[in-house]
Amino acid sequence: MKNNLSSLAFILFTLCCWSQDLSTFEVTKDYIALTETVDSSASFKVYKGELSEKNVHTATPILGSIISKKESSRFTPLIPFTFNQKYTVVYNGVVDYFEINPPKDYERLSIEAIYPSSRKLPSNVLKWYIRFSKSIDQTNPYDHIHFLTASGDTIRKAILNLENALISEDRKLLTVWIDPGRQKRGLIPNQQLGAVFEEGKEYSLVITQEFKDKEGIPLKQNQIHQFIITTSDRKQPNVNSWKIRSPEVGTISELKIDFKEQMDYGSMLNRITLLNPDKKKVTGDLKLIKNESTLVLKPHKPWIKGEYEIVIDSRIEDLAGNNLNRLFDTKIVDETSKDIDKAFYSLFFSIK
Amino acid sequence: MKTLTSLIILLILSITSGTIHADSLLKVDFKTGDPGITSINSMTFGPENILFIGDSNSAQIVAVDLSSHPKVDNSKVKIDFLDKVIADMLGTAVDQIQITDMAVNPENSNIYIAVHHSSGIPVLFRVEDDKLKQVPLKDVSHSKTTITDPVAKDAKDKRGRELRKWAVADIKYHEGKVLLSGLSNKEFASTFRSVDFPFTDQQIYGSLEIFHAAHGEYETHAPIKTFLATSIKGNPHIVAGYTCTPLVVLPMDKIKAGEHHKGRTVAELGSGNSPLDMIEMKNGDKRYLVISNTNRPLMKMDFADLEAYQNALTTPVTKKGAAAGVEYVNLPYVNVLQLDKLGDGFLMIKRESTGNLLLRTGSSWWFK
Repeated sequence: MKNNLSSLAFILFTLCCWSQDLSTFEVTKDYIALTETVDSSASFKVYKGELSEKNVHTATPILGSIISKKESSRFTPLIPFTFNQKYTVVYNGVVDYFEINPPKDYERLSIEAIYPSSRKLPSNVLKWYIRFSKSIDQTNPYDHIHFLTASGDTIRKAILNLENALISEDRKLLTVWIDPGRQKRGLIPNQQLGAVFEEGKEYSLVITQEFKDKEGIPLKQNQIHQFIITTSDRKQPNVNSWKIRSPEVGTISELKIDFKEQMDYGSMLNRITLLNPDKKKVTGDLKLIKNESTLVLKPHKPWIKGEYEIVIDSRIEDLAGNNLNRLFDTKIVDETSKDIDKAFYSLFFSIK
Repeated sequence: MKTLTSLIILLILSITSGTIHADSLLKVDFKTGDPGITSINSMTFGPENILFIGDSNSAQIVAVDLSSHPKVDNSKVKIDFLDKVIADMLGTAVDQIQITDMAVNPENSNIYIAVHHSSGIPVLFRVEDDKLKQVPLKDVSHSKTTITDPVAKDAKDKRGRELRKWAVADIKYHEGKVLLSGLSNKEFASTFRSVDFPFTDQQIYGSLEIFHAAHGEYETHAPIKTFLATSIKGNPHIVAGYTCTPLVVLPMDKIKAGEHHKGRTVAELGSGNSPLDMIEMKNGDKRYLVISNTNRPLMKMDFADLEAYQNALTTPVTKKGAAAGVEYVNLPYVNVLQLDKLGDGFLMIKRESTGNLLLRTGSSWWFK
């Protein structure tokens, strides 16, 4: 209902913008409709930009489909019309122009969360996640993300600039990899450019104003997230050091698992399963708190007596990309650091 | 009478060839309809005019039959300001489109260019007479399979599943298998997948990690940016280009589900650079590996040198920006963003120093 109302408001808004001679139009982002029949599909075309009658003949029309009915015709562009873009429409020998502006109450793109959420991070931090308020423009998003030093200099080649950006299905969560070649000791980028971050120094993650939503409307202003770098993390997460706060039987109070270190937000999702004494999965609401160092599970059903098993996927990572089986970068000569090939780890606790 | 006999023979032959086409073993499971493609991250041609599309958004590989497209002569193709032409055709700004891949059908020289728009809509174009034509993908003969991570597929937590992402970096077809490289947003690993084609309901994923030694000191798991399935000393191999410049080879018979293998680093292509595309060029018995890069010119490497190089790079490259391992020559083409074979030569999308994004051919002369 809300969507319908806003669509209606939007159409009304756009119609209010028409000049007198365009009164036969209805236009939205998705189509332009005439209240008259066109002679043929060839005589109803839309072009990008404000073109003169002379230039129209040499320009390439916009791709789209035309449905022509008695006393009405509709052009649907292959991709929706762009806000703030001028267009030329040609029909039955008439050349005219239109532009669609975003509604005045257009909800601008904003940033809801940045992970890791802690302001103190190890120097070999590997991944960032940025959660946006709405779907983002998926073309070249990394061009608008930078890391700055305390003096405001941009760190060159800090981000792994993937051609196919890592954006979630709802297009609201963007994953940003620090260039692993610089974070991994021994690789050429690391040797020649050094690690991206230095211990004891302050930095900023900047999402620039040019970052756009899927409608092409940018952020209102640069978004700045400051943090300080501490020593590197070159230890694997150890499940045996985790602290479990058992809930009381018969309640739906929270189970808390303290990892004793900050974990990587993305790698933790969906990777820890709780089995009840009957070895059935416990369902509930999961969340990461305290800078992603603690997992909280609030069950849908009350806890029962017996031994519970926490099953942990070995691929969970700390902030430096170390998982339960291996360190992110491993010295080959160090025999003790050889990879272990174990898919899952288990922890047990009892509810009495 | 003789003419009539010839006509009958011709008719029988044409019916027979039509039957063979329709009953092609590779296309027997193809259905006509909407494959639901929501992104075109990477493309490659297999046999019989089949285009394989790596669709990260829908976590699928789609095989599309494009045999209805006519044979074209693109030997002198040239399109200036390609990004502007595409933006104009889509009615949008240049900074709201991204050319994600380019593929040439070796059967009929048709050129295909995949584009993403900021709205999330992918568009496929075909080049004919130096003009772009949209290729509709809503009603096509196709077959498809999922590339969803098996762990995530079983998971009950919807939120986690939505956030899982495996971005296809490159896709190739080799002797009944579709090969993909990519990177997940969850863990840092060089996941490489091998999927049998024709696709089956009981799809078995070959998923492995190819990692390489960095100068004998550290082992590293890294994403493969681009790769090639080829023959080295008569045996099938993967030649892989990593995001942090090493060129690595691995025998294909080692690619088995769930296994981890260390590839042999045969070249370092210079720091501050990342490979973008790889093709194999042939001239008689001579074969060449051609690599386009982010910050280096087009490189030409002789397969004879690659095959002769039995070492693995184990010592650090100390000279800044220097290369090591199998030798190569730089071809005079810079900022080559997309690369594929076209006839005896090759095809590029390259950024000129003037800012012009140009679709043009490269001569076979370089391989003679």
